[in-house]
Amino acid sequence: MATGLQMEGRVPENLKKKLALAVRSIQWSYAIFWSISATQPGVLEWGDGYYNGDIKTRKTIQALELNADQLGLQRSEQLRELYDSLAAGEANPQSRRPSVALSPEDLSDTEWYYLVCMSFVFNIGQGLPGRTLANGEPIWLRNAHFADSKVFSRSLLAKTVVCFPFLGGVIELGVTDLVLEDPSLIQHIKTSFLEIPHPIISKKSAGAGNTRNDKNPACAVLDQDNLDTKLVPRVQGEELDMASPNNSSNGFEPNQPAEDSFLVEGINGGVSQVQSWQFMDEEFSNCVHHSMNSSDCISQTFVEPENAVSAPKGELVNDHCLQDLLECNHTKMCFLDLRSNDLHYQSVLSSLLKSSHQLILGPCFQNYQRESSFVSWNKKGLAHCQNPGGETPQKLLKKVLFVVPRMHVGDLFDSPEDNGIKDVVWRPEADEIGMSNALAERGQKEKLNERFFTLKSMVPSISKDDKLSILDDAIEYLKELERRVGELESSRELTEVEARTRGKSQDSVERTSDNYGNKKTDNIKKPLTNKRKACDIDETEPERNRVVPKEGSTDNVIVSMTNREVLIQMRCPWREGVLLEIMDAISNLQLDFHSVQSSTAEGMLSLNIKSKVTFKILFVQTDSLHSTIFKNIPSSNQNPT
Amino acid sequence: MGASSDPTQDGSDEQQKRSEIYTYEAPWNIYAMNWSVRRDKKYRLAIASLLEQYPNRVEIVQLDDSNGEIRSDPNLSFEHPYPPTKTIFIPDKECQKPDLLATSSDFLRVWRISDDHRVELKCLLNGNKNSDFCGPLTSFDWNEAEPKRIGTSSIDTTCTIWDIEREIVDTQLIAHDKEVYDIAWGGVGVFASVSADGSVRVFDLRDKEHSTIIYESSEPDTPLVHLGWNKQDPRYMATIIMDSAKVVVLDIRYPTLPVVELQRHQASVNAIAWAPHSSCHICTAGDDFQALIWDLSSMGQPVEGGLDPILAYTAGAEIEQLQWSSSQPDWVAIAFSTKLQILRGTSSLLGHKGEEG
Repeated sequence: MATGLQMEGRVPENLKKKLALAVRSIQWSYAIFWSISATQPGVLEWGDGYYNGDIKTRKTIQALELNADQLGLQRSEQLRELYDSLAAGEANPQSRRPSVALSPEDLSDTEWYYLVCMSFVFNIGQGLPGRTLANGEPIWLRNAHFADSKVFSRSLLAKTVVCFPFLGGVIELGVTDLVLEDPSLIQHIKTSFLEIPHPIISKKSAGAGNTRNDKNPACAVLDQDNLDTKLVPRVQGEELDMASPNNSSNGFEPNQPAEDSFLVEGINGGVSQVQSWQFMDEEFSNCVHHSMNSSDCISQTFVEPENAVSAPKGELVNDHCLQDLLECNHTKMCFLDLRSNDLHYQSVLSSLLKSSHQLILGPCFQNYQRESSFVSWNKKGLAHCQNPGGETPQKLLKKVLFVVPRMHVGDLFDSPEDNGIKDVVWRPEADEIGMSNALAERGQKEKLNERFFTLKSMVPSISKDDKLSILDDAIEYLKELERRVGELESSRELTEVEARTRGKSQDSVERTSDNYGNKKTDNIKKPLTNKRKACDIDETEPERNRVVPKEGSTDNVIVSMTNREVLIQMRCPWREGVLLEIMDAISNLQLDFHSVQSSTAEGMLSLNIKSKVTFKILFVQTDSLHSTIFKNIPSSNQNPT
Repeated sequence: MGASSDPTQDGSDEQQKRSEIYTYEAPWNIYAMNWSVRRDKKYRLAIASLLEQYPNRVEIVQLDDSNGEIRSDPNLSFEHPYPPTKTIFIPDKECQKPDLLATSSDFLRVWRISDDHRVELKCLLNGNKNSDFCGPLTSFDWNEAEPKRIGTSSIDTTCTIWDIEREIVDTQLIAHDKEVYDIAWGGVGVFASVSADGSVRVFDLRDKEHSTIIYESSEPDTPLVHLGWNKQDPRYMATIIMDSAKVVVLDIRYPTLPVVELQRHQASVNAIAWAPHSSCHICTAGDDFQALIWDLSSMGQPVEGGLDPILAYTAGAEIEQLQWSSSQPDWVAIAFSTKLQILRGTSSLLGHKGEEG
C-alpha cells in the first residue's frame, strides 16, 4: 500500500474500493490500475489493484472479524506487502515472515499471477496497457494465455484481459475464463463504479450502510443489479448467469441456505425483495458473526503457539462467505489447463523475483486444486531445515523401544518398601502398594495372586498368608535347598572317587539305598554327615572328567514328559554299583517314581524310570532334569539326544 | 492431476475447500497414533501419551467436519498402564465387527469402543504362561486379511501370534537372537520382524520351523527399529536403522541387498508409512522435522546421486510418528512433540485409484 499512497496525485483515492466493487460485481479475478510512473515519465507502472480470485490460505493473525469487503481489501494489501518484501530481495525467507502477513507458500496460482503483475512496467504503446493508453481505446483480449508475448507478455492464467483508459492511466481487468467481447461491460464498469461514484454511493445508501457488517459481497452485486437495470440491461443478464453458479456452490455450505434462497429471490424479485433480504441478512450475518467470534477465540488460544506456521482452524469459519464466491472462480479454474504454462510462468517468476522461490512455486502448480500440505521436494528447501543439534537422534523412538520396556520390568524389580531383602528378583507388591489407585491391573493382579498361591503350596513351613512372608519363606527354602545341593554334590564326588579307587564303596551303597524311596521332605530335613570342603570337590572334578570320554560313547539319556508322567530312559555301560549310583542321583531330583525297570545286555545297562508329575517337576525344566542327571551320574557322558 | 482429478467427481468435495492442515495439541508428548479404518468413523484417530510413569493416557480424537477442529472425546479418553508402544484400530472398513482398538505395552490389550461412548478393556493378553514377566511388547501389527490375528514383538526375543477372538496364543516363536523391535504382516500367514540383532526375518506360519533372513544391517548388531510392509505390493518392505538417516527398501525376492536406500533425510528417520493406495509411494519422517513422500516406481534402476523424494512437509519439531489413512488415502497424520497434525493432499499425486469402493 505504500506505493498506492505515494502516488496519491495520480491514483485516485478510493480507487481500490472502486476497483473492488467493479471486479466483484462481474466476478472477475482481478483489477489493476496502471498509472503513469512518477519516477519514470512515460512509463506505466502498478498504481493500484484489487484481487478477487481464489485464495489458498488465509491467516487469522488478528482476531478482528472482517467482512468480505475488508477481507478482500486486506488480501490485496497483503499481496502488495508481500510483493514489496520480495522485491526488496531479502535473502532469508525466514527473517521476512514476521513483518509480512502472507508468506509465499500461502498464495494460489492466480494470486501469484497478480503478484507478478506488480513487477511489470510498460512503455506507452508497449504491452497491453501501453497500447491501450496510446490508442485511447479499450482492448479486449481473449485467450490471453495463447497470445504472442509482444501482445501480452504476461500470458498466463488470465484467459480474458480487458484494458481501457481511465483517468490518465489504464484499468486492466482479468478473469480466468473466456469471456466474449462485450463493450457494454466496459461501459458498465466505467459508469457504475469508476466515473460516477457519487450516484452509486447515494443510490446504495441502504446497501452501503450495511457493507460494514455485510458478510456477503453478493449484496453489492444485487445493488449493482438494481442500478444496472436502468443503465445497461444486457449486463444484468450476464450477471445473473454468473450468480447462478455461485448459488450452487453456496449450496455446499450448510449454514447459509437462508441467504441463498434470499439471493435467488432478490435477483428475480426486485428492489423491495432486495431490501428485505438485506435486512434479514444483516441479522443473519450478525448472529453468524457472533458465533464465529467465539469459535475464533477458542481456536486462537488453542493454536496460539504456532498459528503463524500452520493454518489455524479458525480461519475456515472466517472465510466461509468469501470462499463461497471464490469457489465459483475456483471451479472454473479447474478446467483450465495450467500445466502447459507452468514452465513459462515459473521462469518469469523466478527471473522477476530473483529469489529462490522455486520451492514454493512448485506446489502451487502441481496441486493447485487439492492444495496439498506437502510441497515439492527441493534440495534448496533443506538448507534452512532445522537440525536438532546435540539431541539424541530418534529420541522418542528409543525411549519407546529401550526405556519403556524396562519400565514394566523395573516396576517389578524395584520397590521401595522391601528394604530388608536383597536376594529377591521380583516383588510384585509394587503393584499393590505402589499403585494404590484404580490403575492396578485386574488381570495382572489375579495372575500374581495365582502364582503366589502356587509358590505357597510349594514351600513347606509357610507360616503366614501374606505375600511378604511367602517370599521370605521361599527365600529361606531356596537357600536351604542350595545348601543341600552343595552337600549332596560334595558327598557324591567323594563316593565317586572312592568307587573308582576301591571299585566299590560300601558306604555309598548304604547311603543310596537309604535315600532310595525317601520322601523328599525327609531328604531336606535330614542333615548330611559327609561334609567336605569346597577345595576337595574341585580336586575331584578333573578326575571325573577324565573318565567320562573313555566309557561313554554310547551313553544315552532321554527325558520325556507326557501328560502326567515323566519318563527317564537311559543307557550306560554296566558296572557294579552303577544302578545304585543312578538311583541315588535321581532321588536327588525328588521325583516320585512309581516304576523302575532295568535290564543289562552286552555290558550295557538300560533303565526306564517313570515318575508322576508333581508340582516340583512342573517347575523343573526338562533340560535341568538332563543336567541334573548328567551331573549326578558319574558314568554317563553328556551327550543327550 | 489435471482433468482426472476434477473435484466434482466425488462427493467428498466439501472438505477439499477447506484448509488442508489440522492440528491438535495434546497435554503430553504423543507417540502411539493411528487412523480409524471404519467407514462410519472418518477423521478419527487414537493418540497415546509417552510419559515415563505408570499412568498414561489414550485419547480418541476426531476432526469435526463442520468447523475444522480436531476434538478429543472426553468420554473416550482413558488411562493406560505404561506408555503404549503402538496402537491400532481394528482393520474393519465395513464396520462388521465391534469397534476395537488395540494397544501394546506390558501386555497386549484390546479395548472396545461401545456405541454409548465408553471404552472398556475387552481383554488383556499375556503370552507367558509360566511367568509373570510377559516380555514387554515393543510393537504389534493387526492382520488386515484376517482381523482376528494380531502379532506382537517383544524384548524377550519372541514374536507372538494371537487369536484375539478366542483370546489365546496361536503361536509363539523365538524370532531373533535379541530384542524384537517391530513386526509387520505381509499376508494372512506371513509376517516379518526386525530386531536389535540387526536382521529382518520373514516367517510363514505354515512352516514354523524356519525363518528367512532377508536383510542384515551392514554394521553387525546395529538394531533395526521399524519395519513397514508394502500392503499394495508385498514384495517390498522398508526398514529403519537405529541412528540412521536412511530408509532401506527391500525386495523379499532378493535377500540381503536393498533395492533402494532413501537418503534425503538430514537426521535420523523415526517413522515410515507405505501408501495405502499405491504400490510405489512411501512416506518417511524424521528428526529433521520433515515428512517426505517418495515415488519408488523407478526402483531397481540406479538413479545417479540417489533417489529424491517428490514431496516434502516441514513440521514444527522432530516428527515421531507417521500414519497414512488407509480408508482416506488423501490424508497423512504426523505427530511431533505434543501435536497431532493431519495433512491433506497426497492423493492428487497418485491419481484417483486410491479411493477404493
